[in-house]
Amino acid sequence: FAGAGGGNDIQWCFSQVKGAVDDDVAEADIISTVEFNHSGELLATGDKGGRVVIFQQEQENKTQSHSRGEYNVYSTFQSHEPEFDYLKSLEIEEKINKIRWLPQKNAAQFLLSTNDKTIKLWKISERDKRPEGYNLKEEDGRYRDPTTVTTLRVPVFRPMDLMVEASPRRIFANAHTYHINSISINSDYETYLSADDLRINLWHLEITDRSFNIVDIKPANMEELTEVITAAEFHPNSCSTFVYSSSKGTIRLCDMRASALCDRHSKLFEEPEDPSNRSFFSEIISSISDVKFSHSGRYMMTRDYLSVKIWDLNMENRPVETYQVHEYLRSKLCSLYENDCIFDKFECCWNGLDRQVEFSLIVMTGSYNNFFRMFDRNSKRDVTLEASRENNKPRTVLKPRKVCGSGKRKKDEISVDSLDFNKKILHTAWHPKENIIAVATTNNLYIFQDKMN
Amino acid sequence: MLGKGGKRKFDEHEDGLEGKVVSPTDGPSKVSYTLQRQTIFNISLMKLYNHRPLTEPSLQKTVLINNMLRRIQEELKQEGSLRPMFVTASQPADPLSDNFREAQPAFSHLASPPLLPADFVSTMPLESCLTPASLLEDDTFCTSPTVQHDGPTKPPPPALQAVKDSFSSALDEIEELCPAPTSAEAVAAETAAGDSKAHPSESNIHKAEGLPESRTAESKLMDSLPGNFEITASTGFLTDLTLDDILFADIDTSMYDFDPCTSATGAASKMAPVSADELLKTLAPYSSQPVTPNQPFKMDLTELDHIMEVLVGS
Repeated sequence: FAGAGGGNDIQWCFSQVKGAVDDDVAEADIISTVEFNHSGELLATGDKGGRVVIFQQEQENKTQSHSRGEYNVYSTFQSHEPEFDYLKSLEIEEKINKIRWLPQKNAAQFLLSTNDKTIKLWKISERDKRPEGYNLKEEDGRYRDPTTVTTLRVPVFRPMDLMVEASPRRIFANAHTYHINSISINSDYETYLSADDLRINLWHLEITDRSFNIVDIKPANMEELTEVITAAEFHPNSCSTFVYSSSKGTIRLCDMRASALCDRHSKLFEEPEDPSNRSFFSEIISSISDVKFSHSGRYMMTRDYLSVKIWDLNMENRPVETYQVHEYLRSKLCSLYENDCIFDKFECCWNGLDRQVEFSLIVMTGSYNNFFRMFDRNSKRDVTLEASRENNKPRTVLKPRKVCGSGKRKKDEISVDSLDFNKKILHTAWHPKENIIAVATTNNLYIFQDKMN
Repeated sequence: MLGKGGKRKFDEHEDGLEGKVVSPTDGPSKVSYTLQRQTIFNISLMKLYNHRPLTEPSLQKTVLINNMLRRIQEELKQEGSLRPMFVTASQPADPLSDNFREAQPAFSHLASPPLLPADFVSTMPLESCLTPASLLEDDTFCTSPTVQHDGPTKPPPPALQAVKDSFSSALDEIEELCPAPTSAEAVAAETAAGDSKAHPSESNIHKAEGLPESRTAESKLMDSLPGNFEITASTGFLTDLTLDDILFADIDTSMYDFDPCTSATGAASKMAPVSADELLKTLAPYSSQPVTPNQPFKMDLTELDHIMEVLVGS
């Protein structure tokens, strides 16, 4: 198994790393979300400073068949600004919580980005031509003296250096009292949902002054609040179906056709607790930090603190697979509670569309010490890899890592006690069509590709 | 936090807590179960009142911590309700605290002393005060309620002892965990120390209740949620206090008057530097509720409110 990744023996190699080199991380540069667009040509990241950076993949160079195109900066813009809520005397963070791409309909690209309170629809368009030959204006924009105009001409478009512009087309505001944790675009490509701790709203992409509340779990008496919504997603194919996960480890599937307010779930996915693992922290570690449908829509994946679970939508009482991400942390939960790491929200993702035949499911998720993990359901294999600048020789296969418990450790293993809990990989993304993955460390974005033979 | 490659060192007591997955039914680790529970309780309280005031705290985190506290409280309540009530002769708080100073020096490193009525009760009988070793071995209170038949002669869980007799060192721990103390904090700490020697459980319960009311940010965020600690007030602590008269029948309630002169306990005299009126004045801006001198409980709430606030360095 040495040198091989999960499933089909994918061998991951370092491709690129983006971001500052120095260890001193500026707070604003902390990456908070990563997302490929539907074609995989564009890769967007959002950061704590409210900025969105979009990378574009170079067109494949036929002569360089050993590697796929590199990703280079395509557009950078300030999506959200910090705001102040005067009523509560609190700052509203500009941190981008989620980015979701719309499928491309014309030359421009559209994405939704959200912070805690406001969702924005951005249009990213290219301009590579500009009109020249105005009658009344000079090329630099100054107005010509009308008396010097003796002939008339028709302005023509001439090529110019490519300019990528991002402009906000819609701002969906004032619909969330609590912090938005998820946005998900419906398969109808007309509506989308946004979820905060207690409510889920349905929007139409064209309408900003109104949204419909479809889930509300706020109790009449806030003192009775014991559970919050942690993530939500639309089903990839069924436009009336969505799921939402909770801090108690449950997932509810709802059908919008059943009623206007989907307070009653159609299905409830919950695994009974393993009594031998019961501890003070059982509830906290069961809190689901991410939920993702498989591309077929038949499965969904959830991430809780220590594991990744794959659920078959037809079976509610337990997952079909459970993968332990970092079981060695189970005995450290008290410390992780104390230093707040237990509340870290790890995301998870499926492998790309084309490779995903029904029986071949590979999933990826992050861990600490800049480690990330892959699990292959088909081959039953898993691997731990590291995102680090030390491994940055292109086309060198990443070496699998291994963490051992406190105690005797073998060569090349890392002891759990020497893990760096400040280096966490919360956000990962998988190219929809190829074996290219984007892995975000605190302030760097790593791109890995599989070794093409 | 942890440096890459650096060996992570655990505190000794943490080792004990972390080393095993403690469950209530483990025989020999009942003590560590209580220890762990107490530590987690303390940590949870600290978390709730130590957040950055600039942005809204995460509701999910707050709810999870809240649930943790509630669960621990439920457990303790169950244990407390199964413990037979014992009536004691009037016990001046000072001798009590003297005794407890002798006991359990080994546990003085435990942080932060919020006590619960059940715990407080169990420390009442002086006669059953035992040496640390026996306390450790004989501790049967910590875990399942079924062990309660041992009754009042059983020593209380060691955690309580430590808290009561080493409040100052516990305060030091809190200060270490929190930002640097201010001079106001020192005064508050002193008054808190003096105050709580006699009624640690009272104070801390009130701390728990009183805090949210001064935290406008929190209360604004969560509507009336914390009253996050309105939860504990309604479900646990305060109810226990008012209902379980036996527990407090013999307590010298003159402490609540905050009048050093009338207090029968030596500990109270340490409060002399700050008079009740001064306290009221300092507390007024911190409390969203009006404080009246003839409502001792309310004053406890707001005063400890204030004290806790400065302790956690807000």
